[in-house]
Amino acid sequence: MIASGVLHVMVIAAATVAWPHAIEQSEEIPSVVPVDLVTIADVTNIAPSAQETPKAETPPEPTPPQPQAAAPPPPQAEVAPPEPDKPSPPKEEQKNASAPPNPVRPRRKPAPDQQKFDVDTVLALLDKRAPKPPPAPPPPPNAKPAETTVKGLGAQDAFTMDLKDALLAQMRECWNVPVGAPNPEQLIVQVRVFLAQDGSLAQPPSLEPASRAAAAANPYMRTAAEAALRAVSVCEPYKRLPPNKYDAWREIVMTFDPSKMIGR
Amino acid sequence: MMARHERFSHFRRHLTFAAVLALGFVLAGFPGAQAALQVRVDQGVTEPIPLAIPDFLGAGQSGKDVATVVRADLERSGLFRSLNPASFIEKITDINTPPRFGDWRTIQAQGLVTGQSSLQPDGRLKVDFRLWDIFGESQMVGLQFTTTPENWRRIAHLVSDSIYERITGEKGYFDTRIVFISESGPKLNRRKRLAVMDQDGANPVFLTQGDYLVLTPRFNPTAQMIAYMSYIQNRPRVYLFDLETGRQEVLGNFPNMTFSPRFSPDGKSVVMALETNGNSEIYIMDLATRTSKRLTNDPAIDTAPSFSPDGKQITFESNRGGSQQVYVMNADGSNVHRISFGQGKNGTPVWSPRGDLIAFTKITPDYFGVGVMRPDGSGERLLTHGWQDEGPSWAPNGRVIMFTRTLQAGAGGVGAGSQIWSVDITGRNERRVLSPGDASDPAWSPLIQ
Repeated sequence: MIASGVLHVMVIAAATVAWPHAIEQSEEIPSVVPVDLVTIADVTNIAPSAQETPKAETPPEPTPPQPQAAAPPPPQAEVAPPEPDKPSPPKEEQKNASAPPNPVRPRRKPAPDQQKFDVDTVLALLDKRAPKPPPAPPPPPNAKPAETTVKGLGAQDAFTMDLKDALLAQMRECWNVPVGAPNPEQLIVQVRVFLAQDGSLAQPPSLEPASRAAAAANPYMRTAAEAALRAVSVCEPYKRLPPNKYDAWREIVMTFDPSKMIGR
Repeated sequence: MMARHERFSHFRRHLTFAAVLALGFVLAGFPGAQAALQVRVDQGVTEPIPLAIPDFLGAGQSGKDVATVVRADLERSGLFRSLNPASFIEKITDINTPPRFGDWRTIQAQGLVTGQSSLQPDGRLKVDFRLWDIFGESQMVGLQFTTTPENWRRIAHLVSDSIYERITGEKGYFDTRIVFISESGPKLNRRKRLAVMDQDGANPVFLTQGDYLVLTPRFNPTAQMIAYMSYIQNRPRVYLFDLETGRQEVLGNFPNMTFSPRFSPDGKSVVMALETNGNSEIYIMDLATRTSKRLTNDPAIDTAPSFSPDGKQITFESNRGGSQQVYVMNADGSNVHRISFGQGKNGTPVWSPRGDLIAFTKITPDYFGVGVMRPDGSGERLLTHGWQDEGPSWAPNGRVIMFTRTLQAGAGGVGAGSQIWSVDITGRNERRVLSPGDASDPAWSPLIQ
């Protein structure tokens, strides 16, 4: 919700920056809007990008012998999976976001040639969030998808498994399974959950459309749906989730499947 | 011109700035770009749901009494846990205003029942209650009952049923009665009386005086009539007992022993076993015309028939395959097929009112137990395991089973006796049903009309 609001604000802000400006005023509005945007961007986006920043620092050592850009990226992606298991170093470096640029600078040297765009200001802003060496050549907007895609192949899997384990460990203590209904194995419910960064519910959990329809049509499904919603509420706050990975768990779809809890 | 160009350029820069900034945000991890984390929760707990049920408001004792019965009903179901009133933060003073949900969340309550009882000018007792969803912060159900003050326990049971139904999604079973055989006296001169009581053991009433042996009582669908077997004048036959009038009558004029009666779902007929020359067959008798029809025809023993809730099939026990097992046939006697193939012998099958399961008694050399299986014989599960657990009877919602538990005598015969117990179909929440003295052969009534 917050993030959604932020985007709306941002889009509106962008429009206010651009169009109204074209009409008349130009100088004061831009200086105000970015403050909000940058602040929120720090909260929402720095975590993932900062984690990858340190990974970029270790590779630079082998990088010198391999000056070409094509070779370095793959090893980073492959090395990534084990690294998420050590979240502490990234946090530190994330906080020192201004410090890391030192080791990164060498890599920036070749980049400037390609950075002769009209969006210098934007680059500066984005560089703060993603001072990563390898994706330096491409323009900043492309840097982000590259991060999630390349790193996600291995690292995301291991990481999301950890996330899921943490969630399951918590949910299994809160979900009171309605096992007495006829054909309970069919009472599968999907709930969408939005979490705040402190692990609290950002908004009340909601049934996915199919589950909502089933619950309206069948009292057993309604019971199962209410049990699932209750479980989400009872489990609040979700403290076992890593705050620095907030983006990965801010929105969750939980599928409650009682089939393994039946037939003792 | 220059100025215009600069201004346009300035505008372009800002436009680009805004667009790139927006794009950057979207791509940089805005939630819309981040797919929701998918998690499959397949492990949980099966614990009673904590409910807060303060004493109902109102002058006199009735509010407190009603709440006490409601708490006991729900706790006995095993699906709910009544929180200690001493832990309550908010004191309910008006049931027509929403409670302070936060206060109830603090004490871990997931539901709150508030109620109020009052005597009406016409002398009748009125009870209002509301069930609140503490996390959803909404009212789940709110009802009002009115009756004569002596009937306050029924109101309490109706409140319990409403709460149970709203939370579990299935009908409750608290406003029901049990017919059973009350046993007393020494082992060699056992006195067996037909008796009824509320499902919680309250209001026991003896229907017969124990002059004759009585067995296997069963309610009809309106809970006003009981079919049972009695040895009146040493002739074991099936009788009907009208609870309203107290009148008894023998069912049919058969020359031989009739036993193991049970009503059809529509209450218009009774299926039972008729013994002839050592062989027993299953018959169905129309209660209006008193005509009967034989359904089975086999030299083996066929007995203990029980209709499916739709009236289309009958399950029964037979030893036609060499040992006592559970069979199913169509209501007209066709398509007989065996469904139990598990360990030991299996008998006294009873079809669930819900239709999804058949309860039965498992008999092995080491133990007797009560189990359930699907009507096709699959999914057999043993729910209880005792020295002699037998004779299952379903709660009207098909969720709970009552049965007779006979205790093995200890040294000197101490400790022997029969008791009524209940168990959830999940096999959990096994507990004794209170009864005056020893008791056996319970049969659960439908929900009282």
